[in-house]
Amino acid sequence: MTMTAETAPATVHMQEPDLLQRIKAKYFATRIDAIVSVAFGALALWIIWSLLNWAVFDATFGANRGDVCREDLHGGACWSVVSTRWRIVLFGLYPFEEQWRSGLASLVMLGVAVLSCIPWFWSTRRLPILWLTGFAIFYVLMRGGWFGLVEVTEQNWGGLSLTVFIFAAVSILGMPLAIVFALLRRSDLPWISKTMALIIDTIRSLPLLSIMFTFAIVMPFVLPDWAIGGKLYRVIVGYALFFACYQAEIIRGGMQALPVGQEEAAKALGLKCRHRIGYIVLPQAFRNALPPTINQFVITFKETSLVTIIGFFDVMASGRAASGTADWNFAVIEMYVFVGLIFFVFVFSLSRYGAYLERRLDTGRR
Amino acid sequence: MTEPAIRMEGMNKFYGGFHALKNIDLEVKPGEKIVVCGPSGSGKSTMIRCINRLEEHQSGLIEVMGTVLDDDVDHIDEIRREAGMVFQNFNLFPHMTVLDNCTLAPMLARMIGRAEAEKTAMQYLERVKIPDQAHKYPGQLSGGQQQRVAIARALCMTPDIMLFDEPTSALDPEMISEVLDVMVGLAEEGMTMVCVTHEMGFARQVADRVIFMADGEIIEEGAPDQFFDNPQNERTKTFLSQIVGH
Repeated sequence: MTMTAETAPATVHMQEPDLLQRIKAKYFATRIDAIVSVAFGALALWIIWSLLNWAVFDATFGANRGDVCREDLHGGACWSVVSTRWRIVLFGLYPFEEQWRSGLASLVMLGVAVLSCIPWFWSTRRLPILWLTGFAIFYVLMRGGWFGLVEVTEQNWGGLSLTVFIFAAVSILGMPLAIVFALLRRSDLPWISKTMALIIDTIRSLPLLSIMFTFAIVMPFVLPDWAIGGKLYRVIVGYALFFACYQAEIIRGGMQALPVGQEEAAKALGLKCRHRIGYIVLPQAFRNALPPTINQFVITFKETSLVTIIGFFDVMASGRAASGTADWNFAVIEMYVFVGLIFFVFVFSLSRYGAYLERRLDTGRR
Repeated sequence: MTEPAIRMEGMNKFYGGFHALKNIDLEVKPGEKIVVCGPSGSGKSTMIRCINRLEEHQSGLIEVMGTVLDDDVDHIDEIRREAGMVFQNFNLFPHMTVLDNCTLAPMLARMIGRAEAEKTAMQYLERVKIPDQAHKYPGQLSGGQQQRVAIARALCMTPDIMLFDEPTSALDPEMISEVLDVMVGLAEEGMTMVCVTHEMGFARQVADRVIFMADGEIIEEGAPDQFFDNPQNERTKTFLSQIVGH
């Protein structure tokens, strides 16, 4: 064979530019490019350097008492506040000897979240079972009273595990409700769809804070005794309602993006209404509505902090409480950084997962 | 005298005040192939969509395989199971593989187990000559392939009747014949077919009867030879001359 690189154009390839060449082409192509690159590079270096100085080089670790840390302070952070008080942030007022339960419960929920990323669980049966089981285990661990576990009432829950609990409960309750709302909103019967629209629009135009207040404080006067329940649960129900109204409109948007032909084809095949909704309409509606749905979850996670106003100590309020003693009140920023980091880890993984889902669901499309 | 596969008597359809279908009378015998043609807006698509209740008729009778089409959901579902439909825009389910598209309805509406449904599906996919695409998604296929999958999907319900609503109108010209070939094969096997189409070659080759509609009425009907070579009605003549002219 005399086939060489010259005779076969497909095998001719340009020399790969090396790293230096690529950097030059990207950041130093023109004089202006070079000036901007240098200026921003310097700024970035300065910010990183200051941060490192504060957070690492000048910081105090390991001092177990506030006054020691305060005297040691030379402009850097005092991480001792985190290393001595982290339990309050994670577990709030939960009894010290029982805090392993709270930690384990949160890990279970985290495990459920990770498991639901696995495509095997993506069916209308497996996913709800997974979440309900995880939620039940979480609840039993947290609440106790069964299996020889000491009972810890909701009033004593707090910190990260309370945040996780509220978020999970609102999602589990709110999502099915949102689907029902969206379907009712689309009903062929004008009375049903108009009423649903009115309810959704009303609840959406109220501030979440006022809804939480109403459910926590006002509802006990209105509801019959058997329906009052704990304050925490009333707040969760109110929050779930709020979530459902927003999410219902997101799902409805996803449904409207579906071509009419999809439902017609399902009808023509003789599929019953519930099958058309469950197998054709909803899966595609959720796929269409994935970015706003992830967005809604992110907002919901962050707004759990509002429960502080009715006297619960979520992760945010616990952080404030942990650095609120006379001993540690100089280290508020460090505590906020720690709490902020916790939020960041959760929300960032949520949005990365959303991005993964989008890529994965996109494989079927062109 | 065998019972007709489809029977329409004095069937009327209104869109608000607009009279879309006027006193349609039509009988389709088992195994008969009917081609429906006519200018756009003549009501031909609306008519076959009335047969499986994608459109509701306001008066008159529609009977499919002995089941009267009324507001009873069981009757509607029964008729939809017996009458497969192929659409102009394929309407495959984009979030499912080709195979899942074909097995979904048999499993849910005919209560057939997955293994058997998949076996049947593969048979029909072979019949439309794309068994190798079974695990792809519709978006990865060409228009002609998608329409063949749509035909296979309808056949998987083992219907007695196939309804085709302009099955080649959305296809690129070079893909039309692969779809028509499948339809011809289906006709030769004795399937009862009602096709809304402008493929006159197909009509000549396959149809037992050609029906011409205009303004919501059946204007003329007859065997293909007679219909094409010696049309009686003025509108039919105009229509045919326009189609043949292109």
